[in-house]
Amino acid sequence: MSAEIIAVIADVLTESIPLTPISQGAEAVVFTSPVHPYLPSSVKHDGNKLYILKYRPEKKYRHPDIDKALTKHRTLGESKLLAKLRLIDGLNVPKLIGCDPYHGCIWLEFLGEDLPDGHGFSNLKNFLWMNAKDPYSDLVKETLIKVGKQIGLMHWNDYCHGDLTTSNIVLVRGGEEWVPYLIDFGLGSISMLVEDKGVDLYVLERAIISTHSSFSDKYNMWILEGFKEVFESNGKVGLKKYKDLTKRFEEVRLRGRKRSMIG
Amino acid sequence: MSGFEQLLKLNNCKEVREMTELTLAYGIPQFQKFTVHIQKYNNVTNSPELRSKLAELPFAYIDSKTVVSIEQLSSAVYKAVLESEYNRMRTRNLHSECILSLSPSSNIGDALKTFGLKEDSTDLIVIKITENNKGESFDGNAFVKGDLVAISNEEFASSADIETIKAVCIH
Repeated sequence: MSAEIIAVIADVLTESIPLTPISQGAEAVVFTSPVHPYLPSSVKHDGNKLYILKYRPEKKYRHPDIDKALTKHRTLGESKLLAKLRLIDGLNVPKLIGCDPYHGCIWLEFLGEDLPDGHGFSNLKNFLWMNAKDPYSDLVKETLIKVGKQIGLMHWNDYCHGDLTTSNIVLVRGGEEWVPYLIDFGLGSISMLVEDKGVDLYVLERAIISTHSSFSDKYNMWILEGFKEVFESNGKVGLKKYKDLTKRFEEVRLRGRKRSMIG
Repeated sequence: MSGFEQLLKLNNCKEVREMTELTLAYGIPQFQKFTVHIQKYNNVTNSPELRSKLAELPFAYIDSKTVVSIEQLSSAVYKAVLESEYNRMRTRNLHSECILSLSPSSNIGDALKTFGLKEDSTDLIVIKITENNKGESFDGNAFVKGDLVAISNEEFASSADIETIKAVCIH
């Protein structure tokens, strides 16, 4: 990650907001900061809390005007999506704290923790690795069913994630259990199309097959079990939608994520 | 100085001290040049009078019914300052921009009607944003006739009308 990018955003936020880079994607850099962007320091209680800053740096290969417009559009789009998702009962997504579309900044609450014994951050991928010795334990099963429920709930409300992978599902400890949160809606959208939802499921399935191949059959089964539950609980309409969706999912599975352009 | 005058002076000092203690003043990390001052008044008796002078007074008056937490309020202030610094304000000044920022819609009239001071407001929140290098300060006098109370999440929650907020903010 270039120090230049960090210097730009550090300059905007001033030295009063210390930033620690934690991850970089194609479009954004993710930082943590112990400083809340606007809450008065006198009312903040938990001093150990961290906040997430997702920053979309300027792309030098784009025309500056287009770059500004795109950054603003995408930052606002992701923020709005997140805010709407947050209102859905039972759906777990990070809380939106603030948004500076002019610099491509989104502030979010920090979720998750470090897994014991150096297993890394508590996303679904690392969690499955950690439990590879006892891959079919009740804990794993329950967690994956809950993951499926989250995805089902999102799809039932006609939202799509767009990049559903095991590292984009963060597990938050709730006593002995783990509560899954969906993160990174940078490619998310509102969509009535079964295609987008089928692709979501397919992408996750592939992610699990490629990183946890020995146990992937069971894992995927459990996720779909949770997924189905949401639709079943919504009566006839839900069941109909579920049927359409699984049908498309199977089609996507046969042809891959991209649709054929021939014909 | 007569004993009476001394007493009066002491009394004034005490009043000023109380005022500053009950005013929440804070800075926004990203915008160090501003200081935000927040006060809350209960049992306000001069709402109609304040309303008539609203345009001249350099404060944001907000109906307490529409605010549940410090987070809600400070996020609106943050957004207002952000817009004024990096883009352009949709309203005339930073104080009315704060009220617009509280609202989920971009309709200024609706925002002022819902979140702003009403004729029958009894509990209200006063915001003043000052610029440090311009020598601006807030002496605590917000022209409100009412009981100044300490700012806290509990205090905000106690005077909030959740149903109104739900009706406005969740569609």
